[in-house]
Amino acid sequence: MKKSLAAGLALFALVVATVVATGATAAPSKSQAGTLTGAGATFPFPLISKWIPEVGKAYDINITYAPTGSGAGIAAITARTVDFGASDAPLSSSQLEACKGCVVIPWALSATSIPYNLPGLNGRLRLDGPTLSRIYLGEITSWNDQRIRALNPGRNLPDTKITPVFRSDGSGTTYNFTEYLSSVNATWKDKVGFNTSVSFPTGVGARGSAGVAGVVRNTPGALTYVDVAYSLANKFDFAVMKNRAGKYTTPGLRGINASLSQLPKKVTTLSQLKIVDPPRSAGPLAYPIVTFTYVIAPTQSSKAADLRKFIFWAVTQGQKFGPALLFQPLPKTVQAFAYREIKKIQSSS
Amino acid sequence: MTTVTQDPAAPEPSLESRGIRLGDVAFRGVAIAAAAGVTFLLALIAYKVIEQAWPAIEHFGLSFVWTEAWNPVQDEYGALTFIYGTVVTSVIALLLATPISIAIALFLTEIAPRRIAAPIATLVELLAAIPSVVLGLWGILVFGPWVAENLEPWLEKWLGFIPLFEGTFYQAGMLPAALVLTIMIVPITSAICRELFSRTPRDLTDGALALGSTRWEAIRGVMFAYAAPGIAAAVLLGLGRAFGEAIAVAQVIGGSDHINVSLFAPADTLGARIASQYQGATTPLQQGSLLYLGAILMVISLVTNVCAQLIVRRFEKQRRAV
Repeated sequence: MKKSLAAGLALFALVVATVVATGATAAPSKSQAGTLTGAGATFPFPLISKWIPEVGKAYDINITYAPTGSGAGIAAITARTVDFGASDAPLSSSQLEACKGCVVIPWALSATSIPYNLPGLNGRLRLDGPTLSRIYLGEITSWNDQRIRALNPGRNLPDTKITPVFRSDGSGTTYNFTEYLSSVNATWKDKVGFNTSVSFPTGVGARGSAGVAGVVRNTPGALTYVDVAYSLANKFDFAVMKNRAGKYTTPGLRGINASLSQLPKKVTTLSQLKIVDPPRSAGPLAYPIVTFTYVIAPTQSSKAADLRKFIFWAVTQGQKFGPALLFQPLPKTVQAFAYREIKKIQSSS
Repeated sequence: MTTVTQDPAAPEPSLESRGIRLGDVAFRGVAIAAAAGVTFLLALIAYKVIEQAWPAIEHFGLSFVWTEAWNPVQDEYGALTFIYGTVVTSVIALLLATPISIAIALFLTEIAPRRIAAPIATLVELLAAIPSVVLGLWGILVFGPWVAENLEPWLEKWLGFIPLFEGTFYQAGMLPAALVLTIMIVPITSAICRELFSRTPRDLTDGALALGSTRWEAIRGVMFAYAAPGIAAAVLLGLGRAFGEAIAVAQVIGGSDHINVSLFAPADTLGARIASQYQGATTPLQQGSLLYLGAILMVISLVTNVCAQLIVRRFEKQRRAV
């Protein structure tokens, strides 16, 4: 009886101690040098996980990154509960204002692929922006629709219903995809618009890349959008997309690279980095659904030196880890823009 | 305890009895602290949820509850789609899970030989130990396609005249979500029902059997009457589970922003919407609206719980009156 009471008390004390201890460790440790915490987008997470041990080796900076999603990353850096945030969508002007002195720096570059499930199709599916947007608007509902057949001469398109699949969670891939649909279809832009999550007029939603991939794998006639690295890793068939030059391209490294050729010689503002649906001048290889993903850092930070080192390393040496994961290394002009932005991160103490 | 010492013949209070008193004080303290702590925590959570939902409450007012909208681009939100989805999935799950749970419990207590009953009971309870995210993955990869290819065509064939059971077949939608919820609440309700049935006094059922009633009559007349309030409580506990489940539902429900009449079509629930969009919420209003959904969920759960207690109390009264 006494023993069990003592045990109970001990357990209670232990619980209290644990709660207090975790509470203490969860608070951001500000004074300690050599540690950086970040949170945000899941899209660049594979790349960031490669960077973390390398930066640890190079500069002895201990980085922890929580892939909580772009929105949570923006919220966390705005509240300064992390040292840096990451987002697939550039900050809107109101978000930038709320963040009170934040810089938004592009640090990785990738593309969105359009996987589909059409068993027995002879060859690869071809799509263009207007057709894709009409599928997601619910205007084209069958695979043997005239408008799809026109793009795919000689293909045996079945009389199957099209099931468009979308991400039900907020996602940078959704941002990239809807940004593309908005730029190729005015109706889409007016009716739906673009964001990390939008109100899709039709189709079925699933959670995460794994979720949408699961639905497409099991539903003949389904199509969706996931980042190209995920598509390749899971050996999906994905569509070749028609660009402004009228050519069908794949989201390979060359396709991504070509879509960058229209960037200005000197990048001065973030809005110049909007690279979906590149113009005809980008050339025949340009893949149209390409996006930058960004790191958000405060201009005043107690860890400014470490932050500068880390982000500088990421946009320079870190880029060589990209191609294996289908992240195209940043072009020189964007790197130059990044350097100028990194310099704005100043020590607050 | 102090009254004992009034006897002059009694010895001085021993160290041991003082020890017990210390134990009592400590026990009281711990118990009060635990109860107060939980109450305080709940109040704090409710406060925080409402505080964070405030931008949305201020902006949309109460009409949020009956507005069907979810548009992060236009920053327009409403809860109706999700309230509808929550109620419909949970009610279907409950309608299916209750008879199944009672049947399992009766089988385990009345029909199955002890040697079989014990392992089966463990297996059913193991079902509750499957993490909901795993159940959701199974739902989307295995169960959902099966529902879309077999169950939904079959339902449409026989019940297609009801609008609920017609339309396109989807592997992610209201029906798969309701069925996954059923699987999740059966272990809870059946475990409680089994406990209730096994506690029915043997002499009552034996008496009924001795008076010539059949086994079913004894179960219906004696066991059910005895266990009714408990069963009601068990069912409502299951309902609470169904209301609150987020991840598994988010994976299989198809995340639609609109209300669809067909049970085959994608829908969404309060919990699932919070789980899938909170991390990606980009505007303060979207975040506030998601927490507003959370507040609505809390109110619905509270109302259900109060109803549960009222029902249990009414059953108790009836039983005493008999």
